[in-house]
Amino acid sequence: MPKQIYDVIVIGTGAGGGMAIKTLCQAGLKVCALNAGRQLDPEKDFRYHRRSWEMTYRGFGDPKTRMENTPDFLDSEYNKGAWEHDITYTTAPDTKWMWPRCSAVGGKTNFWGRSSARFSDIDFKSATLDGYDTDWPVTYEEMAPYYTRVEKMIGVASTVQNRPSNPDGVYLPPFNFRCLDMIVQQGCQKAGVPYLPDRIAQLTVAHEGHPACHYCGDCTFGCDVGAFFSSPWFLLPAAEASGNLDLRTNAIAKNILMDENGLASGVAYIDRQSRRDYEVHGRTVVVAASCIESARIMLNSKSRQWPNGIANSSEQLGRNLCDHLYADTAAGYLPQLLGQPSFPDNVSANPIAWMPRWQNLTNAHEEKFIRGYSVYPDGGCSEFPSYYDRIDGFGSSFKRDIKRRYPTPITFTVQAPTLPSEKNFVDIDPTVKDSFGIPVARIHFHWGDNELKMFRHAKQICADVMDSAGGVLENSADEPQSPGYSLHETGTCRMGNDLKKSVTNRFGQSHDIANLYVCDASVFLNCTDKTTTLSILAFTLRTSEYLLEQFRRGDH
Amino acid sequence: MAGQSIERREILRILGVAAGAATFPGFSKWAFACGHVGNTPTQIKPAEYRPLFFTPVEYATIARLSDIIIPADDTPGASEAGVSEFIDLMVSRDPALQRNFRRGLNWLDAHSQKTSGKIFLHCKREQQTAMLEPLAYKKKFQIDEEHGRKFFALIRQYTVMGFYTSEIGLKELDFPGLNFYADSPSCPHKDDPEHRHLAPPK
Repeated sequence: MPKQIYDVIVIGTGAGGGMAIKTLCQAGLKVCALNAGRQLDPEKDFRYHRRSWEMTYRGFGDPKTRMENTPDFLDSEYNKGAWEHDITYTTAPDTKWMWPRCSAVGGKTNFWGRSSARFSDIDFKSATLDGYDTDWPVTYEEMAPYYTRVEKMIGVASTVQNRPSNPDGVYLPPFNFRCLDMIVQQGCQKAGVPYLPDRIAQLTVAHEGHPACHYCGDCTFGCDVGAFFSSPWFLLPAAEASGNLDLRTNAIAKNILMDENGLASGVAYIDRQSRRDYEVHGRTVVVAASCIESARIMLNSKSRQWPNGIANSSEQLGRNLCDHLYADTAAGYLPQLLGQPSFPDNVSANPIAWMPRWQNLTNAHEEKFIRGYSVYPDGGCSEFPSYYDRIDGFGSSFKRDIKRRYPTPITFTVQAPTLPSEKNFVDIDPTVKDSFGIPVARIHFHWGDNELKMFRHAKQICADVMDSAGGVLENSADEPQSPGYSLHETGTCRMGNDLKKSVTNRFGQSHDIANLYVCDASVFLNCTDKTTTLSILAFTLRTSEYLLEQFRRGDH
Repeated sequence: MAGQSIERREILRILGVAAGAATFPGFSKWAFACGHVGNTPTQIKPAEYRPLFFTPVEYATIARLSDIIIPADDTPGASEAGVSEFIDLMVSRDPALQRNFRRGLNWLDAHSQKTSGKIFLHCKREQQTAMLEPLAYKKKFQIDEEHGRKFFALIRQYTVMGFYTSEIGLKELDFPGLNFYADSPSCPHKDDPEHRHLAPPK
């Protein structure tokens, strides 16, 4: 039997992979998608609709297997089995990096935080504005139509805000402000910082055949009705319906194959269950495995022609790793709400409002740091009263205080972008292999001065806001969360016009290998103060249509 | 429902035998819901619980401590919510927790012997609370009681975890989640954005 040659092999099914798969399949290309993990079954794998007392360990997870120092949403009993454990990684001796990965079909879009702000020219032209690094090879004008199409596709709830760093888009009705939003907004007004509805890819009304949110609780454990954007609910069904998709699950991509002409010819992968090696062949290859994993696959694709990894003539593969510094810059409570009846204000266990970047807007150097950060405020009646450890004592008074404070908690989280740095990169560990025999990624990363200045600045501002809102500040992080905590890593396959300084061109196509594309946050020059998913979708939509154009022209 | 039965089966496996579940107040409802177990509701009596990890005296001490931390008053407390069973289950799964709990209980009994000539469990309630106060309130902290304070923080943490994840505990808080809301919940005090004039709490 002649071996099958697909039009496109896509590695990964998350935001980038999902969008590429949908766009290409609907256009009539035959696509083989490789996904490192299994399919999730919303009914079995998303357990949020269960009560805590119906869970063996009340939702805390088995103490015997619970990983230390991981965020709560990881390996909770509510989504146990969805996050990656088998594929390991290493860090340079003085690097701390937490790397939560979801290898299930749809990847992290199953559980993401849903904040969806557009990047803008203040991001794309940041080097021109402040002299650091280089500009993006795209303009906002060029990207805006793609953002609009993505927003219409996935549904984003927000308002028109006319802020220089945050171009407005096409929005569903916003989330209503809760008591805590009203109070903190007053405080922000006095402190001179913005407090506005966030842009949230969560359906406040039914949209494009998807039901409206019913505000049951914690979206970070997955949505069993598909009322917020995820690749399996919004992208993959259309691809499957086209009849052009061959989705292979538990297929761990090992390396990209090449033909004698120096073009990509397919992908070698290992079946997770049988541990057997397979190859799949195609006319083009799209890498969309998420930033570090994409770099790892390409760095592991070595040949005589590419001793340091495929498509790496620039030596920039794995470089420019960026991440968001996260920290709880202020935590405390709002005494105005003490003893008030409980209120369903923790409707998604994620912020519905934000304090969008307000620094260095008119003058790139008005602060002691360059560029800017955003802050997410959140609080209210969450399921578990984790503020108990800020209350002394025991007995009836302790119990009464826990009850009185139930509607009052408030926390501010800073989202500060790192600047690209030579010290922050991914390479392949020369000695360590994972349990499938594939050399692992080794991460080198440190916070830089600029983001640490933002962290300290945000602490001061959040303390001021808390004070002017009449809140009581009880805690402020001394150190940021470990790098990797935000799950917003970018870089490693940077796009650019200069062949010597970038891995792909402005369309995400490899400079070196014309039929190799990258469709995830790897191509971003930095992480900006905004989250990555909406931009991954918009950039991928653009790359996919560029790829289709090459097919039409007969180049692939 | 299919998904739930896996968890139920797992707990029964941990308990060793299905019959054990019948004497397990926190979990009796689950065993009952599991059709194949063969118990009828009348057989399920929350009687003597056989701890998975703790000795009987240790277990009774844990139960007493959790009841002092979250007592029954106008509303039910830790024992009604099955908190000591929860703590025993969690501790049974983790050697590090086992060491910390056992070391802490030993400290408490040694401390109690020194101050009142009896182990903690055999002291009167007033003596017990008097012993715990310096461990629980920053203002009353004593030197040389660091081990005791650490243990108290640990048992308090697990008591809170067990209580506020139980049906009773979430009812106590009037947890508003896991409901169906037609619209995103909206502040009902729009005319008072600073919330300075709310009705006083009941």
